[in-house]
Amino acid sequence: MRKSWLLPCLIAGLWLAAPAAEAAQDEGPLLAERCGSCHQTTSGNGLTRIDEQRKTPEAWDMTLVRMVQFHGVELSDDERARLVKHLADRQGLAPSETDGFRYILERQPGVIESPPDAELATLCARCHSYARIALQRRTEDEWRKLAHFHLGQFPTAEYQALGRDRNWWEIASEQAPGQLAELFPLKSEAWDRWQQRPAAALAGDWRFVGHHPGRGGYHGTMTLAATGDDRYDLKLQLTYDDGETASGQGAGILYTGYEWRGRSEVGSTTSLQVMALAEDGTTMTGRSFLADQDAVGGQLTMTRLDASPQILAVTPGYVRAGEGRKLAIQGVGLAGDVDLGPGVTVDNVLSADDQTIVVHVQAAADAALGGRSVKVGTIAADQALVVYDRIDRLSVEPPYTIARVGGAGGAVPPVAAQFEAIAWQNGADGAPGTADDLRIGALPARWSTDNFDATAVALKDAAHAGSMQAGGLFMPSGAGPNPARPFETNNAGNLKVLAAVDDAGREVTGEGQLIVTVQRWNDPPIR
Amino acid sequence: MKHLKPLNAKARLLEEAAAAGRPDEVQLMATVAGCASTLDPGWEVDPFGGVAGLCQPMEADLYGCTDPCWWPAQVADTLNSYPDWNAEAPSAQRDWRVLQSVFPKK
Repeated sequence: MRKSWLLPCLIAGLWLAAPAAEAAQDEGPLLAERCGSCHQTTSGNGLTRIDEQRKTPEAWDMTLVRMVQFHGVELSDDERARLVKHLADRQGLAPSETDGFRYILERQPGVIESPPDAELATLCARCHSYARIALQRRTEDEWRKLAHFHLGQFPTAEYQALGRDRNWWEIASEQAPGQLAELFPLKSEAWDRWQQRPAAALAGDWRFVGHHPGRGGYHGTMTLAATGDDRYDLKLQLTYDDGETASGQGAGILYTGYEWRGRSEVGSTTSLQVMALAEDGTTMTGRSFLADQDAVGGQLTMTRLDASPQILAVTPGYVRAGEGRKLAIQGVGLAGDVDLGPGVTVDNVLSADDQTIVVHVQAAADAALGGRSVKVGTIAADQALVVYDRIDRLSVEPPYTIARVGGAGGAVPPVAAQFEAIAWQNGADGAPGTADDLRIGALPARWSTDNFDATAVALKDAAHAGSMQAGGLFMPSGAGPNPARPFETNNAGNLKVLAAVDDAGREVTGEGQLIVTVQRWNDPPIR
Repeated sequence: MKHLKPLNAKARLLEEAAAAGRPDEVQLMATVAGCASTLDPGWEVDPFGGVAGLCQPMEADLYGCTDPCWWPAQVADTLNSYPDWNAEAPSAQRDWRVLQSVFPKK
């Protein structure tokens, strides 16, 4: 056994709390001790290669793991966590440098990338995401070394980069490094400015609202207590929109002054939070998902309880013209009357405090269709409530995604897929799928799957690939060859994902596509 | 193509797609971020956007992928990176349950 990749002691470093310290720690001595035997000391008393890169916490963690697996570096869990913190704080990305690519950190399912540079996408993103390179910053020489690393470590890079059809190495080693250094340079004004930021202090109470596809909205309070070195203990109190309440606890770390990584235990469920702290230090936005099923989760927003008054969510965010319903307004510092605009009146305030106002509203039959502002006293949330009078179609979100077989005694668990049905009303043009369509919102739906095409019919994919559960959660079947299928093929499948709701006696349906495919054996935090 | 005759189902699909003016279906497909689109088929999705054209059961050819480092972002390559990955699983079809995910996490 040459390498230590099987060592069970290495667990996910990003959410691993190292011993608390009183202040941000300088792990330079540890870095020099563990890395300095290979990386030479530079004239600036840094280390070669390492000093020429900036990355996200996840990417630094992947680098450390690679050094352990490929080069035999010995790191304890604690040392791995401390080095990620040290490197991400000193050689991270400015918040603006992650714009447009946070989906890969948040592990959003079903993302189809639209790389801005087709040449680089062909070179880099045929094996892994484009975001994986777009969230790194290097010198031109360091980008070139990365090309050399790929050729040496993964010789098939030649084929992957279409080396049979073009002079790929010239592109990879001569053209791409310059392009990459221009797009993603080591030195940037944004990073220089970010390093001058005051230290963020997150201790205190945070109000949060989230949406968990398949489960609905939720809101609550998270209390953070500092334990040192940007680490915090957390306690949660949350209420789902259906009234169920829960509490939990956990811990989190703030990397690079804004990259929040939290881990919470609510009952027997462990969830991770990947969030970015806004520059004013009062709001965090990102995604929360199950630790063992990262496709299952949704968007999450947190605001300091003592932040300026604001509306964070209106749930549900729709009302049908001519009907009444209960609405909940979540926020901080809520005070004053609720104003929903012409044609939608509040006929009863069911409860009200500075964080939640629950009202019963009535929408007039002739209320203007479309999005409108919700006002509470002097504050407003734009386009927070939609008035509609007909559901014309459903869309399935994500419209195309993958699940993976797993389990069945194997080490790699199945990867589920979570869907949500979104109701739409055609706009003034009366045509579906046009720019003026009105997005009403997520609705509970009846879910099913079917074979996607004739090939799937022939192979009976829908019968083998897995099952759709209530709430739009697809659970794939077990891994391994299936003797019941032709050639003992796996329980892979190409499926239609079908959603249906009733609207005034009509059934309205929507369709998505799900590829149920095989396991991946290499699943780093940035794919 | 007039001098070439498809010999199997995949080749027939390729010919049909080309004849029907749907060349995009046999070219690089955009797939979900983090999946491989390279080598058509990719690891997850075949050139037609389905799975019937993948090498399946995957276990029958898994070591044909790991040995030459074919999809290193998805599959543990035993060429350089994880040479002992399948040391305890000489037959992937029989022993696939032994195989571990290589990135260490809880």
